[in-house]
Amino acid sequence: MDSLIPFTTSGSLVDCVDRKMLVVLRDGRKLHGVLRSYDQFANLVLEDTVERIYHGNAFAENWHGLFLIRGENVVLLGEIDLDLEDEIPQRRQVEYAALEPYHKNDVEVKKQREEAKAQILYEQKGFCKEGGEGDGY
Amino acid sequence: METIQEPFDLIRLSLSERVFVKLRGDRELTGILHAYDGHMNLIMSDVVETIMLVEGVDAVPPGPGATVKVATRKMDMLFVRGDGVILVSPPSRT
Amino acid sequence: MLIFSVFKTLTDQQVTVELKNDLSITGVLKSVDQFLNIRLDSIKVLDEARHPHMMAVKNCFIRGSVVRYVQLPSEHVDTQLLEDATRRGSSPRSHPFIG
Repeated sequence: MDSLIPFTTSGSLVDCVDRKMLVVLRDGRKLHGVLRSYDQFANLVLEDTVERIYHGNAFAENWHGLFLIRGENVVLLGEIDLDLEDEIPQRRQVEYAALEPYHKNDVEVKKQREEAKAQILYEQKGFCKEGGEGDGY
Repeated sequence: METIQEPFDLIRLSLSERVFVKLRGDRELTGILHAYDGHMNLIMSDVVETIMLVEGVDAVPPGPGATVKVATRKMDMLFVRGDGVILVSPPSRT
Repeated sequence: MLIFSVFKTLTDQQVTVELKNDLSITGVLKSVDQFLNIRLDSIKVLDEARHPHMMAVKNCFIRGSVVRYVQLPSEHVDTQLLEDATRRGSSPRSHPFIG
């Protein structure tokens, strides 16, 4: 019976095919690329994929190429408004190698903060610590 | 007379009453339960969410000054995804 | 199926989706499927400064599995109908509110 119900949302991804999309993954990575294909699990094929990192007003890109992304790792798929993207004030692109250390540091600080928080809540309030993988994005 | 034969019967008997829900991610809710399904997805109204915040973890490594603070937030009508639910507790009936 | 039906009745209404990574997105609900994947149009991200990658995004697809909450417009939710449908333990398929 379930199979008779149309995949309305996945179906409506039709209009996103061949467009430049942002994909946010569960580990927090941001990928930009052209959506070429998808299915009902939100498995995605992304062409000319670049990974973007941000720090302050700067961003940088690292080229990857053709990706098939397994759906369970996808948080969000956003259509990029190309006009809007050019109009974002004070944003500048820099060399990936130059920005990467800052970005790695941001990620590390966030991770340590969350571990410390989980430890305190575990000790004082009896809230369980989240597993090693899962909701770390 | 309605009896409880399986876990979900307990939730069914709590429909249109205020329930307490504990969630993953250091969160708790109370609200009036209007709907649920087999995934324990819930729809509740008049919801008060309680979030545990830890202050003083900005120092790396965090010092002993870290304290737990409680923040609350109200929401009119809320869908809660079942995979985050740890427990649902019905109102106490005395 | 019941909750899927509820979301379908809320298409074209404004909702706020809160993800498990604490990102909150307000937008117009355009569609939903049986996994509770959600399409939002005309989105606005809460605390956009913390999420600079979302600035150029106007509409998006959110995978159901990463959703924590969806804040619904209470004036468009018939709670009595929900409770009856939940008690019946089946989808309110025959009911007019399915549309």
